[in-house]
Amino acid sequence: MSTETASTTHEDRGFLDRLLASPFLSDLLSNRLAILGLSLILLITLMGVLTRLAVFVGVLDFGTILDTQFAQPRKHPPCGNPTITGWLGSVGSCQHPFGTDAQRRDVFLRTMYGAWLALKYGTVTVAASTVLGVGLGTLAAYYGGWLDNVVMRTMDVLLSFPSLLLALAVVAIFGTGLWKAVIALTLVYTPRFARVVRGAALKVLEDEYVDATVALGARDWRVIVRHVLPNSLAPITVQSTLNFGLAVIDLAALSFLGFGATAGTPSWGWMLTKGVENGLINGLWWMSFFPGLFLALTVLGFNLLGDGMRDALDPRMQDAVD
Amino acid sequence: MISTRYVIKRLVLLIPVLFGVATLVFSILHLSPGNPATVIATQQADAAEIQRIEERLGLDDPIWVQYVRFMVEVVQFDLGESWVHNKGEPVTDILRWKFPITLQLAVLGQIAGIVFGIPIGIISAVKQDTITDHISRIGALTGISVPIFWSGPLIILLFAVHLDWFPTNGLLSNGPLPKITGVLLIDSIIKGDIVMFVDAAWHLFLPSMVIGIYSMALISRMMRSSMLEVVRQDYIRTARAKGQGEKITLLKHGLRNALIPVVTVIGIQFGSLLGGAVLTETVFNIRGIGMLLVDAITDGDYPVVQGIVLLFAVVFTMVNLFVDLTYTYLDPRIEQ
Amino acid sequence: MARDMDRRNFLKAAGAATATTTMTAGCVGDFVGSGGSGTLTYGRGAPSATLDPQASTSGEVAKVTNQVYDKLMGFEPGGSALVESLATDFTIEGTTATIQLREDATFHNGDEFTAEDFIATYRRFVDPEYEYHFEDRSGYGPYLLGAVEDVSAPDDYTVEFSIAKKYAPFLANLGAFAMAVLPKSEIESGTDFSSEMIGTSAFQFESADQGTGTIRLSAYDDYYGEGPHVEEVTFEVIGENGTRASSLNAGELDIIDGLSPQTITQVEDGEGEIKRRGGINVGYLAMNMATFEPFRNKKVRQAMNYAIDTEELASTVYQGIATPASQPIPDLVTGYNEELDPYPYDPDQAQTLLEEAGYGDGFEFELATFQNPRAYNPSPGEAAETVRSYLGEVGITANLEQKTWETYLNYTAQGSHDACFLGWMTDNGDPDNFYYALLHPQVESDPDQDYVEWSTEGINKTNRAAWANNEFMELVEQGQSTYETSERQSLYREAGAIFHEECPWVPLVHTEEVRGIGPDVSNFTVGVIGGPFLNRVELE
Repeated sequence: MSTETASTTHEDRGFLDRLLASPFLSDLLSNRLAILGLSLILLITLMGVLTRLAVFVGVLDFGTILDTQFAQPRKHPPCGNPTITGWLGSVGSCQHPFGTDAQRRDVFLRTMYGAWLALKYGTVTVAASTVLGVGLGTLAAYYGGWLDNVVMRTMDVLLSFPSLLLALAVVAIFGTGLWKAVIALTLVYTPRFARVVRGAALKVLEDEYVDATVALGARDWRVIVRHVLPNSLAPITVQSTLNFGLAVIDLAALSFLGFGATAGTPSWGWMLTKGVENGLINGLWWMSFFPGLFLALTVLGFNLLGDGMRDALDPRMQDAVD
Repeated sequence: MISTRYVIKRLVLLIPVLFGVATLVFSILHLSPGNPATVIATQQADAAEIQRIEERLGLDDPIWVQYVRFMVEVVQFDLGESWVHNKGEPVTDILRWKFPITLQLAVLGQIAGIVFGIPIGIISAVKQDTITDHISRIGALTGISVPIFWSGPLIILLFAVHLDWFPTNGLLSNGPLPKITGVLLIDSIIKGDIVMFVDAAWHLFLPSMVIGIYSMALISRMMRSSMLEVVRQDYIRTARAKGQGEKITLLKHGLRNALIPVVTVIGIQFGSLLGGAVLTETVFNIRGIGMLLVDAITDGDYPVVQGIVLLFAVVFTMVNLFVDLTYTYLDPRIEQ
Repeated sequence: MARDMDRRNFLKAAGAATATTTMTAGCVGDFVGSGGSGTLTYGRGAPSATLDPQASTSGEVAKVTNQVYDKLMGFEPGGSALVESLATDFTIEGTTATIQLREDATFHNGDEFTAEDFIATYRRFVDPEYEYHFEDRSGYGPYLLGAVEDVSAPDDYTVEFSIAKKYAPFLANLGAFAMAVLPKSEIESGTDFSSEMIGTSAFQFESADQGTGTIRLSAYDDYYGEGPHVEEVTFEVIGENGTRASSLNAGELDIIDGLSPQTITQVEDGEGEIKRRGGINVGYLAMNMATFEPFRNKKVRQAMNYAIDTEELASTVYQGIATPASQPIPDLVTGYNEELDPYPYDPDQAQTLLEEAGYGDGFEFELATFQNPRAYNPSPGEAAETVRSYLGEVGITANLEQKTWETYLNYTAQGSHDACFLGWMTDNGDPDNFYYALLHPQVESDPDQDYVEWSTEGINKTNRAAWANNEFMELVEQGQSTYETSERQSLYREAGAIFHEECPWVPLVHTEEVRGIGPDVSNFTVGVIGGPFLNRVELE
């Protein structure tokens, strides 16, 4: 969206209207790679939500995902019939399209359910760091002075660590577990949002109309809610999208290092790690391959979309997003 | 030109940040659950034994005394003693030989990333919106999206196990690491041991490539967009109007200007490469600082955890500062 | 990843005893080093944290120090019987132990070994008055030598101990790796034992590399015992199990340990050969009676035992390198009761017992486990998931709680768990080191209740079930103060039977010690305690 439209239409129309009217959406939609990314995300979301729903309504027994399936074959290759050699074996009797794992569970079902967990923990991480970052960033920008200094210097400190390393340091304090990993990553991502939002908010505040509103006696929170936030929404959305992919991959990375998912969690990170341990090097590839593949596709989806969004973004705001 | 005043200003601004970093690192030990003394003493140590250790480590002092002591020691490059390694080996001694291993890996990966990333970015920009461009863009995004703890084991399976072209792990086939600088490739040259050099290079190839793919992806993306940006600018058009060939125009004028933001990316990303080495080292079983960190967290060896986190933060901050200064040097308009 | 030895837990200032019987050593013929050739390469999963045997309780440390240092006592290769080492003869009677030392042992620095060396070693370990006392010593000092009141050397080749009370495991304690004898001259000249080793055994120290974890040793030609038959020994560290196995197959390594079940096939399919032997260890699930009320009911505990198919567990999660356990000690240990069988898998019986106990609808509890593999539990996460699945079949809901190792030990040592997975390996092979160390509260307990509260002063925190069965406790105490082997046997057999009936644990398995060896290696015995015995190994 151009500078003019942003400032003139601002008061009169809602965010959605403005979004639809702006070139942002059409730019984005004409970007084929972004569309590919969006489709990937939708596909993964559908996978996760449907599986979760199937468990919820009882079509799918959660036990088959979680518990050892004593009646099933162990570490059985995908679709394969052990009596027939070759990679695919008898495709006709494809009971386990992704094979089974060391606990005789169906890798396909677990991978499907893993999509739900990835989205769930990813959403919480991104949402938490967005809210925290937006809050801190706007406060810092709006009030300036010592508050700005304290907040942003703290953010600087947090940004002085490579992200995975800071997450590991936090894990060293709080201990192992997916929720704890979520806390760690929230702490890691928050400064990025704070920076983006502060930058965007400062730009909005520089514009005269806000000064005018303040002069008219608008209270602090109104200025923030009505003026600052809506105009920072685009860079926040881009940052969130890019960070979503990062959150999914970092959660899995913490699991891989032994500090994220724990036993009993059918998350991609856990499945991948156990799959590698359970004999990837001996050629038992399917236990780690499929969870890893979907993990990569999800991250790719968010990166493609985020990239496209950044390209479509108002150039004024582009610099702010990293 | 870059003014000395600006450099000094930047350095002064660094002090509160580093102070905050050190405070955060100090809190790692003191926020963590459990009594440090029990980690050292073992589970069944009696109260007297635990007290003995607490006294020795000064853990019975008030927290602010411990904090001041920590700060004073850190300034003197004293990071305390490991609770596990040799029962009291100075953390700085441990890091001294571990850090070069990780650094070497990150640098090699970075080099691979630059060597492949820049040409790919240029080609992608020159052939904007063609199939080549799309493929290299998707390739780049895929490179960032694929977790190395997934691709790494698969690459080992293919190239080291099935094809047997490379060793599966480690740094040398046999023998101890020569300890001259700690950087294996340099040390083997200093020793004049060509066999060791080749062996080391052979071992470092796959892990460097895995890091390189990631780095290449970021660099080629930046190179492409930076290149396009520059191409759009007027003076390129002017140059073209003078009748030079398009290729030469691009190379002569475009490249130099386009490289400025790429340098930034290379610098910024180098810090994260060091952080990401934790994963690469774990996958390839290279006993650098990354694996040390994972082990230290598992064993509750908090002084080592603190030391590593602090070291990385300082290196990361310094690299960023250096990049900023380089950037300012290349493009002095920024200095305000 | 496998950090497979755990001796951290085996550290309890031991109680002791009083009385009469005598134990005497056998004699093993001496061999002279045959000056073999070649370099023997030993691959393992983790490096030595130190080279100082007095600074660590880690099994990784022991693997190396055992090649360079000798203890007064040794263990029979592949067994748990005490044999001579630096001692040629030993007697224990009442509260006095007298040990005769060999006269033909020399240190790698040329010093002759005498009783003075042992006394200096002893004082460095546990005597704070000694000028060269080692302040950073491991908890093994007080644990192994806590019973000692006085040590003296009546002559150059005799050591006499006076112990506080009769304490049967005492001689076995002297065989633990941490009791390695250091030369007095080096102790008193301030040698840094964390980076240098000077012992009396078959190999002498050459170099240790911090970066790779590689440690190199060379043959010591003046070694008094058998071997060595190779010129050099190199310890290499390769963390990943599969990689270590493929390095063996590729001929880069001669011997590997820490084989996960998955990699055994890899070695068998390749050039290597698998050597295995029942290990002296146990993996178990302890039910915390003090914290979780339903576990105070014996029927519930028995139901847990019936509900879990340990045979299936041994063949899948442990992939056949383990045997289901019926009691804490395996058959190599004195006092093993062969009349006891592991609880059969019988979910119906479990259900019936739960109903009788008033838990027909099941119950919910927290099942704690750890993250990093141990020798007695190579896939802790998978073991926990399988056990949870079994319990689910009889209506018991187990909520898994998984933590990293150090955090986990602290968590369970405070009794915070409802039930937890743990295991045990021993450094002295004595039944006391299982029964007293793992299942005795080591405090007075109320005879009317069979558990102790975690808040009790001085409680044995390694007793993760908080079990306190007075009848059992009495037998174990007697066993500790009895020197006569056959008497001890029957005491521990009876203790085992009570354990089996009361089941404070679900004893899971005894894990086998598995090593992979290359085609050139011969005369290799899998050491279950005090190994590896590399002095005997030959290369073709």
